[in-house]
Amino acid sequence: MKPRTNAEWLSALKATGAEQAAALEDLRVFVLRAALFALRRSRGNLGLMSPAEINQLAEDCAQESLLAIMQSLDGFRGESRFTTWVYSFAVNTALVAARRERWKRVPLDRLIEETHPGASAGWRAPALADPDRQTLQAETLAVIREVIDRDLSVRQRQALKAVVLEGVPLDELARHWGSNRNAIYKLLHDARRKLKACLAERGISVDDTLGLFGAER
Amino acid sequence: MTGPDWDGLVRHIRETADDELSCSECFDLLPQYVDLEVAGQPAETTLPRLRQHLDRCGVCREEYETVRELARLEAEDRPPSIDDLRNSL
Repeated sequence: MKPRTNAEWLSALKATGAEQAAALEDLRVFVLRAALFALRRSRGNLGLMSPAEINQLAEDCAQESLLAIMQSLDGFRGESRFTTWVYSFAVNTALVAARRERWKRVPLDRLIEETHPGASAGWRAPALADPDRQTLQAETLAVIREVIDRDLSVRQRQALKAVVLEGVPLDELARHWGSNRNAIYKLLHDARRKLKACLAERGISVDDTLGLFGAER
Repeated sequence: MTGPDWDGLVRHIRETADDELSCSECFDLLPQYVDLEVAGQPAETTLPRLRQHLDRCGVCREEYETVRELARLEAEDRPPSIDDLRNSL
């Protein structure tokens, strides 16, 4: 394959006839490579899928990415290599598909559960051997739970529990709610800002609390 | 999953900024950030808000790490072949 500069990629992909066809064929190699690479890296999410099924998933992701790239060509600002820009489309598409495969059988409704005020009391933290650290952990947890139960909206509570505490991918929660990644991120950002402000108001140093919840797990 | 990730939540709270990039803004800036890194340039100081987003957003971070690996291999002129990738699935 002939190496191309950014300008040559754009010119060829916006051309017609044989020139565009050749460029599309080369572009397809890049997106398929990225899709296969991303799916192989995310193999743990793909469970019992056979190599043939993963290969087909990569082909589907490559096709979807090609369409998205061609529709977005005018948005390429030339601040990176064209191939890196192309990779970002295919990797995004493939990893979203891999996360969907991993989470499609998980009942998110049950995982998120609810969410009435007081629900966070059931979210346990690990016990600590040091009594002073145990006390600080309990104080911090009490404030965090109070803010979660009193000041966050139901959606903020659910998103916080699912994404931050239980590890549900942002795009899977977005899909579950018929929303989008930006909206879920904003929901979580607002919740974090509220928690940060309330902890500061209570005089709790977040730096001092680091390690209280995971170090002895 | 061994239980709720409270330590992760506290870290998220500590690193929360008033103004953070959205996932779409992250996606737009990611290729530039990756290429700066691959070229040995100071990506973190050139695009600090992108770094901040990557530290807060697991899905964007996973995508960044994958694109960075690919871009590194590309820059070293040893991109993985389609056949090798297929055979290693």
